Amino acid sequence: MRKILLLALAIAPVLSFAQGFQVNLEGQKQIGMGHTGVGQAQDGAAVFFNPGAVAMLPQNYVQAGISPLFYKSDFNPSGTNVQDYNANKVATPFEGYAVWGPKDARWKVSLGVYTPFGGLTDWGNSWAGKYSLESLDLKAIYVQPTLSVRITNFLSIGAGFVYNHGSVDLTQALPLSNSAGQDGQAELKGSGHGLGWNAGIYLKASDKLTIGFVHRSQVTTTINNGDAIFTVPASLQSSFPQPNTFNATIPLPATNAIGFGFYPNKQWTIAFDANLVGWNVYKNLAFDYKTNTPELQDTNEPRNYKNAVALRAGAQYKCKDNLALRFGGGYATTAVNDGYVTPEAPDANRVYFTLGAGYAICKHLDADLSFEYEHLMARTQTNTYSNLSGTFETNVYIPGISLAYHW
Amino acid sequence: MKNLRRYLYVIAGLLLISSCKPEIETFKHGSGSADFSKYIAVGNSLTAGYADGGLYLDGQQNSYPAIMAKQMIQAGGGSFTQPLFGSGQENGSGYLKLTGFNADGTPITTPVTTDLAITGVTPVLGFGNVTLYAKYNGNINNFGVPGLKLEQITYAPLGNLNGYYERLLPGAEGTHNTPYLSFVTAQPFTFFSNWLGNNDALLYATSGGAGDVLTDKAVFQQLYGVMINAMTANGQKGVVGTIPDVTAIPYFNTITVGAILAGVQKANPQVQAIYINALGSDGVTYAPRAATAKDLIILTFPTSMIGTPVSTPYGTLPYGLTPYTPIDNQYVLDEAEVAMTEDYVSSYNTTITAVAAQKGLAVFDAFTFLNNVKAKGLLIDGVSLNANYISGGIFSLDGIHLTPRGYAIVANEFIKAIDAKYGSSIPLANISDYRSVKFP
Repeated sequence: MRKILLLALAIAPVLSFAQGFQVNLEGQKQIGMGHTGVGQAQDGAAVFFNPGAVAMLPQNYVQAGISPLFYKSDFNPSGTNVQDYNANKVATPFEGYAVWGPKDARWKVSLGVYTPFGGLTDWGNSWAGKYSLESLDLKAIYVQPTLSVRITNFLSIGAGFVYNHGSVDLTQALPLSNSAGQDGQAELKGSGHGLGWNAGIYLKASDKLTIGFVHRSQVTTTINNGDAIFTVPASLQSSFPQPNTFNATIPLPATNAIGFGFYPNKQWTIAFDANLVGWNVYKNLAFDYKTNTPELQDTNEPRNYKNAVALRAGAQYKCKDNLALRFGGGYATTAVNDGYVTPEAPDANRVYFTLGAGYAICKHLDADLSFEYEHLMARTQTNTYSNLSGTFETNVYIPGISLAYHW
Repeated sequence: MKNLRRYLYVIAGLLLISSCKPEIETFKHGSGSADFSKYIAVGNSLTAGYADGGLYLDGQQNSYPAIMAKQMIQAGGGSFTQPLFGSGQENGSGYLKLTGFNADGTPITTPVTTDLAITGVTPVLGFGNVTLYAKYNGNINNFGVPGLKLEQITYAPLGNLNGYYERLLPGAEGTHNTPYLSFVTAQPFTFFSNWLGNNDALLYATSGGAGDVLTDKAVFQQLYGVMINAMTANGQKGVVGTIPDVTAIPYFNTITVGAILAGVQKANPQVQAIYINALGSDGVTYAPRAATAKDLIILTFPTSMIGTPVSTPYGTLPYGLTPYTPIDNQYVLDEAEVAMTEDYVSSYNTTITAVAAQKGLAVFDAFTFLNNVKAKGLLIDGVSLNANYISGGIFSLDGIHLTPRGYAIVANEFIKAIDAKYGSSIPLANISDYRSVKFP
């Protein structure tokens, strides 16, 4: 008789994970110079920066580096003096490149492994936005075999095939208190892959000027059968059946870039890069749960990202034959429109500065250090989907080190 | 040694990095033209933190005045003491707990009967039984008394009839003669909130218009004036709340006529209507008629009664399904009763806003706020809330009083009203910190 109180809980765990979070840390020499490199043939990192430039490298390379990333975000909920900080966790973007070709040959083959997208944030389970996000660990590891050919002495081209292994682990509080008054939790955890390519043209216009063009394609990454884990009070478990899985597709955007290298004298190198990142492909984020219930419906959350632009500049000064000092910086516009900023990686226009040093330990071995400071401008927002309202501000600190063996 | 020093530099550098947090300029707090150093709260069960059909420690600790006082600390607020139930008595009057769901999705609630603060039940001649609770003697900032009507604030013997008031008063049951208004104004205070008046309409409504009467409009107007005059006698500032539309609460919106009829028709498709005993157009007499969607069934109506055999002069007939066996009056706030209640509430609210305007007090328009919640719901920090029973997140298991999250929302609305009136800036409470209904 009393079939009246249908438990139509207005809860759909809408999770979102691919914020405007591009990790521009693909080579310590390049980071030191403001992460420029499209228009130069510096070292093996050209595999990422411009596959076309690889064929112009004078030597073969095996190199690897790591850039521990300290991401410091602060959220101030509107109308309060509360400051919610994300926890101290260190993400570890890394890169490794191997470049080989016979001496004086017109071609080189190479392999790059790098992490161009990712996020690691942990806001904890007691902050104002916990029903939007508790923690996120997102990784994308690109593997790129590449072939580069020198067509003439001043022109070379190259292209690589990209395989992306992506993984996500995301938690969000659910507003369903158990008998102890604790929230429920949703966790989405899974991995998947995507395919793409990276191609570039490199032009040695003169001894004093090099120019590069590159297109890194969109890599649409699909996560199939990720685990959808819902921790809810026992009486509601049937609404959130376990085990359950989800599918989701994230388009990691394409980048078009142009870069210039200037060599006014033996000591100085000056570089400029401009990137156009095609975030506008990121229209929405859909989650498809294998088992749906009236309370657990598939979700499709609008994202409506816009294309972003990054302008980068840097310089290298060779003070000795075996020591180079580098500095640089840049400015990047946000991909996230007003009203769509979420705590995964609260995006905003950002400005950054870099320093670097390169030291030739011996004839064949270079060590490079880099440091980057990034500041994401304070951004006051009310999210259109969650009504989470407040100001985000973020500082990022990224030391880095790499070793390169070349012969 | 040299290496060690190098490591130390690296470690120091890393520590430096991890301490370089951004710092957002937050807004400056202030009390504006108000003085929150001694805030008192006046009101009924909603003010006391009543929830889930009872007054108990967890509800008290999450009362909206307690939440407001906590936020006021940053704007010059002082300590705020509530008459909490002590340890071993934390379940106070007892309350309802959600213990499960039936196969059809309806909730099962079970009364909590352990660790109560009940000390006895005293019969009072001509009134009935009065439940007594463990006495509280100490400072009081929260004067919320469950069951209190505005009509009763100057009534001296009230302490002998309302056990929740009795426990706050010194002296023994049967000897009390302190009117509520005198009690709350006995000690000095600088700021007050007043959300009295709900029960003057609500108790009539929740009894289906059968167990109580609406407070006369003129009496309400006169007493509200008396009350606010007393509260502002020394120039105190304050905030008052209007009375919510009783039809906006899940107590009246959960069990609907349509749903009952649909349930019956599943078994007996020929049944055409549910019958109730409804107030006639004269506003006095009751007569049976078919129920419509405009008649409100109360949350506690035992729907299993529907269709049970009732013997009548016309033979044995199913309960609720014939004009001779209508649903009893106490279970239904029928259309005419709804209209009457709304008319009174509207008049009370006119009084409240007029008196507040005259005295320059802030007003939280709970009537409008709750109607908006009912119509549109609320979305706060990723949580969807609405006026539905259990699932809505705002109302507790009794369908009338609020969950801690609901009380936090009310506290923020009071704060916004205060800030707007007095130019103060009290930080808002974090709604996510407060829970909704607990599920087993």
